[in-house]
Amino acid sequence: MNKILLLSKSNLRKNRGTSVGLFLLMLIATALVGISLLLFFDCYPTARKTSERLKAGDGFITIRGDLDGFTDEKIEEVLGPDTDDYYVYRALTYSTLSLPFGDGNVALSLNLSDSHAFSRKMNFFEVVKEDPSITENYVYLPYQFNTSGGFDIGDTYEYENSGNKYSYKVKGFTDVAYGGCNNTGRYEFVVDDASYQKIWDNERDEGETIFIIYDLKDGVKSGAFRIRVSNEFIKINPNAIADGLDIDAVIENRTFIGLILAVSMLVLTSLIVIVVALMLANCIANYIKENMKTLGALKAIGYTGKDIKMSLISWFMVIAVVASIIGIAISYLAMPIFAQIMIGQMGLSYSVSFNALATIIPIAFVILFTLIVTVICSGKTAKIQPIMALREGLESHNFKKNYVALDKTSFNPTMSLALKTFFTNMKQNVITFFVVGLMVFACIIALLMFENFSRNPKIEILTTELCAGVIASDLDSKDDVYEYLDSRKDVTNIREIIYMDFYYNDEEKLFTYIVNDPTKMNNTSICYKGRLPVNDNEVVVSGAFAKAYGFEIGDEIKLDYGDNSFKYLVTGFVQTTNNGGREALLTYKAASHVVDTDSIPTWFWFDITDESKDTNANKVAVDGILEEAKEKYDSHIINTMNFYEIIGGSMTTFKSISALMLVVMISVSVIVIALILFLLIKSLIYHKRKDYGIYKALGYTSGSLMLQTALSFMPSVVLSVIVFTVVSYFVANPYMSMFMRMFGIMKCNFDIPAAGAAIVGIGLAIASFVVALVQTRRIKKIEAYNLLVAE
Amino acid sequence: MKNIIETKKLCKTFSNGGIQQHVLKNVDLEIYEGDFTVIMGASGAGKSTLLYSLSGMDKPTLGSVIFDGTEITKMDTDELALFRRSNCGFVFQQIYLVDSMSVLDNIMAAGLLVYRDRKVLAKKAGDLLKSVNIDESLWGKFPTQISGGEAQRVGIARALINEPKLVFADEPTGALNSQTGKAVLDTLTKFNEKGQSIVMVTHDITSARRGNRILYVKDGEIAGECILGKYVTGDKERQQKLNDFLTSMGW
Repeated sequence: MNKILLLSKSNLRKNRGTSVGLFLLMLIATALVGISLLLFFDCYPTARKTSERLKAGDGFITIRGDLDGFTDEKIEEVLGPDTDDYYVYRALTYSTLSLPFGDGNVALSLNLSDSHAFSRKMNFFEVVKEDPSITENYVYLPYQFNTSGGFDIGDTYEYENSGNKYSYKVKGFTDVAYGGCNNTGRYEFVVDDASYQKIWDNERDEGETIFIIYDLKDGVKSGAFRIRVSNEFIKINPNAIADGLDIDAVIENRTFIGLILAVSMLVLTSLIVIVVALMLANCIANYIKENMKTLGALKAIGYTGKDIKMSLISWFMVIAVVASIIGIAISYLAMPIFAQIMIGQMGLSYSVSFNALATIIPIAFVILFTLIVTVICSGKTAKIQPIMALREGLESHNFKKNYVALDKTSFNPTMSLALKTFFTNMKQNVITFFVVGLMVFACIIALLMFENFSRNPKIEILTTELCAGVIASDLDSKDDVYEYLDSRKDVTNIREIIYMDFYYNDEEKLFTYIVNDPTKMNNTSICYKGRLPVNDNEVVVSGAFAKAYGFEIGDEIKLDYGDNSFKYLVTGFVQTTNNGGREALLTYKAASHVVDTDSIPTWFWFDITDESKDTNANKVAVDGILEEAKEKYDSHIINTMNFYEIIGGSMTTFKSISALMLVVMISVSVIVIALILFLLIKSLIYHKRKDYGIYKALGYTSGSLMLQTALSFMPSVVLSVIVFTVVSYFVANPYMSMFMRMFGIMKCNFDIPAAGAAIVGIGLAIASFVVALVQTRRIKKIEAYNLLVAE
Repeated sequence: MKNIIETKKLCKTFSNGGIQQHVLKNVDLEIYEGDFTVIMGASGAGKSTLLYSLSGMDKPTLGSVIFDGTEITKMDTDELALFRRSNCGFVFQQIYLVDSMSVLDNIMAAGLLVYRDRKVLAKKAGDLLKSVNIDESLWGKFPTQISGGEAQRVGIARALINEPKLVFADEPTGALNSQTGKAVLDTLTKFNEKGQSIVMVTHDITSARRGNRILYVKDGEIAGECILGKYVTGDKERQQKLNDFLTSMGW
């Protein structure tokens, strides 16, 4: 064993550069795997841990509208058989308010509570941070307002509802189970008791809501339970509206961006792991080639092939063990940066803690992976015959063709000799081609995310319909509001939309859009397969729902609303990131089979005729339209939304995540390319050291040889950049679809900015050239004299 | 006679683990145009060190080398490389052709450093290869596909492609058998007869006979000099003179 360790030690000492290069690559791979797993195993489950800590139960049900008849006894009667525990409280609810957040506004439901929110038996709030000196007219906002909403303690928070303006001082931020994240569709605020009482007194009739937080008995299906309970509540009072959500769906919505981050990190990591495998194999092959004589001598004095193989294994294992341990330490150090993005999106307090799985798996993975590659690639040492090796008779010179004949080519000497080097080093070219290509692909994916989530947000993947503004009116003013919008020259394409919950098979709730004319919808890409409904017996359902229940286009689906049911023909599938991927869309006529659409308030979605490229100008134009409507119809206006405001707010968390991904991917790509070129160039210079000595003796300068060597890598870099940029352009969307599917986006249609992709490609090519040029500096150290007399 | 190289107090000291070895000691020397100068001496006497110091391939520790009026000892590495392009040609014992290049490309790679017109250069390279008796059928072959003697003659052609003022040959026949070595020496002699100045290091008396001026290096100093006149085949008097000189030097 000692002799093997002796050999390994000698290898480490003799091949410091290679060892350091591989060490850094393994370190990056471990750190990235570590971060991905910490996100998965530690940060991502924070939402569930927090829900458990805040006793959020298995879900909640709200009852709004006419609350007569909902006594404690009646509620117990309905809930009792299926629940282990439940808790009932009353608070105020506003459906779809435009709330200031981040770079704009978000359109969500708002639950308002008083200080009792902190002492409830279930679903209580926890203060993350606060200023106790603020004692009146204050609000506690969900923590997300602090992490990515741009608000801090002491700021003034203002919003508007039905013409009433509310203004509070921010006293603190809270961890909230159900209403803490914009992706869950609702926020929960706590205001001071005096302010709450005032609002309660004034708005109780419209906003009073019964909240029921429940823990289900084992074996009770949540979806079926909510449907049964909602139906029974409607039986208690037909004018009541019962609604609810599972904690699982809330957690899913709350964490899906974090999951995108974790998955993206894993995708990047998988590319790096392939690169490490390529380089490890290449280093072993080079080692054998460079040390043929030594290996022959070792065999001649009695070392077996197994001894040599073991020495190689222990050499690379030492590197893998040290790199993976330091890599994991780095992942813990870097985690707060990545966690910040998760926290921002989830709106939860989180601090990095030790996670055994996320620590052990990357270390074990890198060690095992190194072991497998080394065992496979070092097999060649067993076949080395001492005599042949001592004569260095293996793979000495095997040139088949004189590429770029110097008497025929029109390139200058540097370029000609660079091309010669290029053609005689195909292994180097193949590795460069794939490494640069994989990194180009990773960067283009990051660019795609940045373009579609940050620079030009692709809002259509987050919402069912795109428009400029929305006005919701009560039934009394419905026709007047339509006439008002229709009469305006700056308003065009008015759509009427109603939101309802339809049910499937007493198991699933489908958030359903009822649209007067789906052909007028702007966001036709929502229907990724089949077509939008036209006739009164047609419906489109979300792809995730269809997959879960095995529906195909052309199948019939029975949808229920209250006691009414109707069998619809599925004409297509829609994609959605909302409502747990359970959505449907049908026409007014189709919906009328089960619901009286005239008795439900309508939302008018409209576009503006002269949409400007300046978002602010559009915002002002839509504000004008909405303000006039509010003035005209006053309390008949239930709600308004300016989409130009909402886009900014909704995309706030996406912007930071996509910008981070772009920075991380480009940085990692440049580092990986630099490391690979370092290893390849080091090996190339070693193999060509005699040639460089000859060139120098002939009169070639170090500068021209450096340029020549750096240029020899460029054909494969340039070819790789071109090929992979083109391939990425066509493959990026299907590739993104593969993992966006888990978030409900079934068919990606992201824009890939051609100019941006070209800049990334050209940038990486230039960076590769600069890195190669820098790394060829070691040619300067080669002295013709030393080399020639040393032989 | 015009001198091409003049050295003044040329010293070269190697340091290894604190032990200093003075390989060249205050060498004052002149190399003349048109001469076939041979540097002889025992192994480790410092003859190769002297050759590479004269050519600017190695830097002396002290003293100066003036090459055709230019002091090359003050030049940096890149300036020396540029200087060597058109002033020096090298023929090495181990030949040192670039294995990944064809015979013709080995010549072209050196020629392209000076000549811009590829057609002119290609013709010149072809003519040179013919003149060193390398058949056209071998031009496209790689160095490992031809014999050692042929490879060394290609090396000579490469050394001559840029019409250097001086060709430095370091034991050019050292790795060859007597027959192929003779062909190489014939080639060098032929070019010297045409006016090419040559400095050759050798410890082989047969090779040394080709020179018209023999310098004997002993313990890092020029211990003696013998002027033989131009080489003539079978000149026994000349041969005896050289033998006597070498005997007097302790050969």
